[in-house]
Amino acid sequence: MNKREVIRAVLAGQTPPYVPWSCGFTQEARTKLEEHFKPLDIEEALQNHILKLGSDIGFFTDLGNNHVQDVFGVDWDRSIDKDIGNVTGCVLPEPTLQHYFFPDPLDRRFFAEIPDRIARYRDRFRVFQIGFSLYERAWTLRGLQNLLMDFYDHPDFVHSLFELIADYNIAQIQEAMNYEIDAVYFGDDWGQQRGLQMGPRLWHEFIYPELKRMYSFVHAAGKIVFIHSCGDVDEVFEDLIGIGLNCFNPFQPEVMNVESLMEHYRGRLTFHGGLSTQRTLPFGTVEDVRTETKRLLKMGAQGSYIFAPAHDVEGDVPLENMLAFIELVQNQPGYRDP
Amino acid sequence: MILLDDLRKSVIDGDMNATQDQVHKALAENIPPEKILADGLISAMSEVGRMFENGEFYVPEMLISARAMKGGLAILRPQLAAANIKAIGKVAIGTVQGDLHDIGKNLVGMMLEGAGFEVIDLGVDVSSEKYISAVMEHHPDLIGLSALLTTTMPRMKDIVLALKAAGLRDKVKVMIGGAPLTQQYATDIGADIYAPDAPSAAQCARQLMQG
Repeated sequence: MNKREVIRAVLAGQTPPYVPWSCGFTQEARTKLEEHFKPLDIEEALQNHILKLGSDIGFFTDLGNNHVQDVFGVDWDRSIDKDIGNVTGCVLPEPTLQHYFFPDPLDRRFFAEIPDRIARYRDRFRVFQIGFSLYERAWTLRGLQNLLMDFYDHPDFVHSLFELIADYNIAQIQEAMNYEIDAVYFGDDWGQQRGLQMGPRLWHEFIYPELKRMYSFVHAAGKIVFIHSCGDVDEVFEDLIGIGLNCFNPFQPEVMNVESLMEHYRGRLTFHGGLSTQRTLPFGTVEDVRTETKRLLKMGAQGSYIFAPAHDVEGDVPLENMLAFIELVQNQPGYRDP
Repeated sequence: MILLDDLRKSVIDGDMNATQDQVHKALAENIPPEKILADGLISAMSEVGRMFENGEFYVPEMLISARAMKGGLAILRPQLAAANIKAIGKVAIGTVQGDLHDIGKNLVGMMLEGAGFEVIDLGVDVSSEKYISAVMEHHPDLIGLSALLTTTMPRMKDIVLALKAAGLRDKVKVMIGGAPLTQQYATDIGADIYAPDAPSAAQCARQLMQG
């Protein structure tokens, strides 16, 4: 079985020959690894099973002074967080879309590299990424506190905004279907350390209907649905499975019980993630990382699991801790580096 | 008192206009401003915190209640000043250096204000030096340090050490919070309070002031 087939088997609830993996790293952590593995290409060194296509958080225009602007017109300050940045200003200062025009979802930059990347990594499972896929896109435009209050103050505006964002995503997914992709990987953080930011009632009223529409579109094309949503969101797993979610990431052990959830949902939902990025990776020893990784690999041996740190690994994680889990996943019996 | 019950309800419902009307009515009825504050606004925000802890309220409900409370407080403040009623304590809050995330810190500020504190918001990316200056200038009872990232957590220890070096550690209590934080970390770096969320922060701060 190649990597793509192993992921497919896992998603189908079958027992794979080994636990597949797909690990992400922030720029700072990635630089440490590149230095370590050179002259070997980092993609080759990591042997990730998932090939990320499209651009999860979009494209940016350099505004100078560590600021960039995304295609939606949002200004991001990257003076500290070099990977994503922090929103500055407010594109929608008032709860109206009257003077706002959405960008072109078919901007060629989102698709230009797909054929070459698929040709280069043919054996990997192909996901088309849509970051900030609803709630997050809305709050980057409107401001987080504004949007959270808009749920009560201006519900029609929130419904309209979410509907337009979902339309934009669907147009992009439709175009992505012209390529040989396997899945769409949505990204939208709804959680906090405990519970949903907006709570289950508002999630159901505003977010759920648009997810249902987007997931249905992906499934109608015969593709798989992944979602990345940070925080304690397991209370909506049943709803997500009901509308066709296949795989959930990041599966944070600090906010959810990964073992019991794995046991409960195995065969119905696949999990991607699980290795502690808030505790073990930055603050644990190499032995702590090895112990936790072994436990996760054992847990995932029966399927429905793709190993990864529960977030892109941050720059404060020692190189030795990164190498500890990379070495363990690559040395699993059943896995042969092609 | 029915009027103050109505005031409490309007804050809990997040209805700012009704809250301001109720405060006006309460003042017109000659209810002492400190009583309107304690039994109306603060009591309501305490209930909001309890409902958040119980999973009945989430961030949107907390935000609109805090907005209503602030609207009421804006009307009440001149009366409180005239009656020489002081805040129960002073807190300087900020997100530590290297971290620009502010929603958690803002919620803590709102809940502290709703618990009767004067809140000085130092903003985001706040250096040890800025905290030290704030302590020297404003003499807060407490400083609040927020961090979302594991990469910025170590700045909290730097601030505690800087307070010691400046001879200010016994002048001010230190409270920390944020997604990756734990009680163990607070203990390890010598912070006084770890608060897992905004209502707990307000509750801990009040307990601290009550000795």
